[in-house]
Amino acid sequence: MSSSGPRRTVRDRVERRALAVLAVITTLLLVGMFYYPVGAVFREAFIVDGRATLGLFLEFLRDPFYFGDLARLLRGDPLREVLPSLLSFERPSSIVGFTAYQAFLSTILSVILGVPLAYLLARYEFRGRRTLRSLTIVPFVLPSILVAVGFRATFSTNGPVNTALGFFGLGPVELLFTLEAIVIAHAFYNAPLVARVTLAAWESVDASAIETARSLGAGPFRAFRDVVAPQLYPSVLMGATLTFVFTFGTFPIVLALGDASLMTVEVRVFRLVERFDYAEAAALAIIELAISLTILYAYLRYEAKQTMQSRGARPLPRRPLRPPALTARELVPRIGLGIYSVVAFVLFVVPMVSLVIASLTTDGGSWTLDNYRFLLERQVEGAAFQVQPWPAIRNSLLFGVATLAVALPMGITVSVLTTRHYRGRKVVDVIAMAPLAVSGLIVGLGLLRGPVFGIEFGGYRLIIGGAIAIVAAHAVAAYPFVVRTVAPGLQNLDPRLVESARSLGASRARALVDIELPLVWPGVVAGAAFVFAISIGEFSATVLLATGTDQFTMPIAIERFIGRRLGPATAMGVVLLVVTSLSFIVIDRLGGEQRNGGL
Amino acid sequence: MRRRQYLTAAGATTVAALAGCAELQTPDDNGDDTGTDDTGDDGTTTDNGEETLVVSTYSSFLDAPSIGPGELVQERFEEATGATLEWEAPDGQVDHYIQRAQDGASIDSDLYLGVTTEDLVRVDDELDEPLFASGPSVSGRDDIIEGLNFDPEDRAIPFNTGYICPVYDSTETEAPETFEELREADHADNLIAQDPGSTVGLAFMLHTVYQYGEDEYLDFWADLQEGGTTILGSWEDSYDAWLGGEAPMVISYSTDQVFAAQDGADLDQHQIRFLDDQAYANPEGMAVFEQADNPGLAEQFLEFMLTPEIQGEVAENNVVFPATETAELSEDYAELAHEPPEPVTFDYDDLVGNIDEWIDQWDREIAG
Repeated sequence: MSSSGPRRTVRDRVERRALAVLAVITTLLLVGMFYYPVGAVFREAFIVDGRATLGLFLEFLRDPFYFGDLARLLRGDPLREVLPSLLSFERPSSIVGFTAYQAFLSTILSVILGVPLAYLLARYEFRGRRTLRSLTIVPFVLPSILVAVGFRATFSTNGPVNTALGFFGLGPVELLFTLEAIVIAHAFYNAPLVARVTLAAWESVDASAIETARSLGAGPFRAFRDVVAPQLYPSVLMGATLTFVFTFGTFPIVLALGDASLMTVEVRVFRLVERFDYAEAAALAIIELAISLTILYAYLRYEAKQTMQSRGARPLPRRPLRPPALTARELVPRIGLGIYSVVAFVLFVVPMVSLVIASLTTDGGSWTLDNYRFLLERQVEGAAFQVQPWPAIRNSLLFGVATLAVALPMGITVSVLTTRHYRGRKVVDVIAMAPLAVSGLIVGLGLLRGPVFGIEFGGYRLIIGGAIAIVAAHAVAAYPFVVRTVAPGLQNLDPRLVESARSLGASRARALVDIELPLVWPGVVAGAAFVFAISIGEFSATVLLATGTDQFTMPIAIERFIGRRLGPATAMGVVLLVVTSLSFIVIDRLGGEQRNGGL
Repeated sequence: MRRRQYLTAAGATTVAALAGCAELQTPDDNGDDTGTDDTGDDGTTTDNGEETLVVSTYSSFLDAPSIGPGELVQERFEEATGATLEWEAPDGQVDHYIQRAQDGASIDSDLYLGVTTEDLVRVDDELDEPLFASGPSVSGRDDIIEGLNFDPEDRAIPFNTGYICPVYDSTETEAPETFEELREADHADNLIAQDPGSTVGLAFMLHTVYQYGEDEYLDFWADLQEGGTTILGSWEDSYDAWLGGEAPMVISYSTDQVFAAQDGADLDQHQIRFLDDQAYANPEGMAVFEQADNPGLAEQFLEFMLTPEIQGEVAENNVVFPATETAELSEDYAELAHEPPEPVTFDYDDLVGNIDEWIDQWDREIAG
């Protein structure tokens, strides 16, 4: 075959360089759309009146408004005066203290609500399981203003929850505008995240390991504790870590469902950016980032130690949801799941149903299609300068698909690079995760003052904007999810698998695609779902980088359709819900549940 | 507070809009005097000999379902002048142009519609060079209501104003008559307010500074907080919570009944209360950018916006009040839109050097 010879060499060459090329592209994207813009803003925190200084940080650390008792100590107040309140378990009133406190509570609740869902989806077979699995992370894409609408409707004094409680002679619960409301809304967003990453791990548990344990005489509980649970801990902890990082940087939810007394770091950063105190905003955001990255680093150190060799996945068989026998062993877990699903129904489904109902009712409470009629009218009669629903839907989908095409290779490349063994790789890993942890307001400011206004060098100004820039920004924001869902699986693979493939002449990229990725496939699919969700839900970078209303997406349309009443925005929100739900089902079907490995 | 170091970028080149991804501009490629781009984003082009005016404004002027005078203004102006009007509504509003000026990026817009007193304070705080041109020559200025002129340097010409005050459901509660009554627990508990990060919240906070002075306004807020007032981050969220019945009183606009009547709601549930017979005025102005490509056409636009017919129509569409004495409002509208017996507002000189501190103190009182 003379003709296939050269072609084959070209292909080989491409394959051999593929990882290096991807690594370079990834680095360029990260530098251009993230590290450079963010670095330029952060730089201001260290320069005051033209001189380099750490003065701003010291000022924050010594201000009790931010650091409470810690600041009092640093300021030199005597220990015996500060100690009693330092050791009390009351809700901290300082901004950083309160932010960490609510993030901690949100994390706990997200884990409590997320893990049972992963258990249900991983271990039981029932009608609609795959659809439910696909829809798990839908809450993740909802703009906070709509979550607020759903929550206010669900938990209001005369809302469905209090009505139901009243039916049993309980309640009413005054939940709105309290810390509890914020924590529950955070769990609404993040429990699905915990569930999805835990599920990916559960689906990767190799059934043969359990069978071995059982054949050696271990009971089912012991087999779970010794074989399954150790493979789940890292994922649960990862979900918890990500939840903490996200809720530590929380912003709009706090403003919409909490009272102004509940101020988080990010709300304060917003205030400082608003009044152009960029140096102080940057300093506070750096403190916020340092705390988040410390947590992430601690997690990554832990993850690195959890190496357990796995040769891949023959997943556990699922049990039927209907109990096969009426024994305690069969009934207890199913009753538990029953209780769980009532709670989950109230916290996840009712707010979304309330949102749909809100889009279909007038202020007076009667049914109406006016809000949807508005969408149609805007589509048909809207002026050129107005945001229209269909282009917004189309752009969201196009950007989502394009982001998948960019972020998946990026994430997989970084996963490979951070699971190799070299000194300081965890530091590289943490730096690669920074897009998850940096204040969104600072990223926005950096993008504006960097790529959008133009990056100056010499007498030139490089301006970056438009659709390609939007996809790049989405990919940078989303790719860390791929790393976090793919890297642990790669780490656990038996290195001999790759070695033997390489010794048979396969390139590194070929070994990755043919051998490793199929073995960690549930993680790849979970990562893809997160990438799509991040892209669909992204607002701030998109609105800055779009060069015209024809590049606007669904979240921007929702924001623009806010009027005196939230009805039209809510209707657009329902469109977003439907479109993303269908997309997730498609992504999961295309991705499949398992991809059989080559071995 | 410290001032930051800026890249003022003297001699840096300006920017044109771009379609695809990245664009590199050379020093000669100066987009200032002629449109150099072809995307239609930048409005200086004169394709068929007609002039184009680029007007920047806040996005709800163009997009909001319940208001939206954008289309009307565009049609009428294009009819009247034969020029083309293009809108721009960047997310950061006036701040966006301050940031552009700080970083030496060009401004491709001719004027901003919706400049507030606080905007001007920030412009002057942050920039050494003027962002807006002073003293545009506009006939019809004399018709503007005395007291709405908020810019001593004569850059911003008021074109409409809103009034911020409590709105309440009279079937649920009777609103207090004065600030002193409002701070009592039984009224404070009934109120949903907003933090000064929102326009409405800032106006109400400034009203309390006006009422109690900068030494005592925080005591008033401490009483509200103690009494159980809910303070949310945006007017939209607070109004939605109020409509949902979370509390019977909300800080909102004195034109509330106009919206309510449009929706066929019961006006008893949409009552206006002017505390101490006052409401805080939030005048919005128009200002021509110093860098405008088309200052003559921009001034024509200013005049157009002050004509009696347009004043009336824009006010009704934007659900606010006109800025001129000569505006033509329909009778229905005048009946539903309430003006306070005593409008109050801080002008530029009151706010400059103070407003950041007032907001900061408020944050520390409420969240500390």
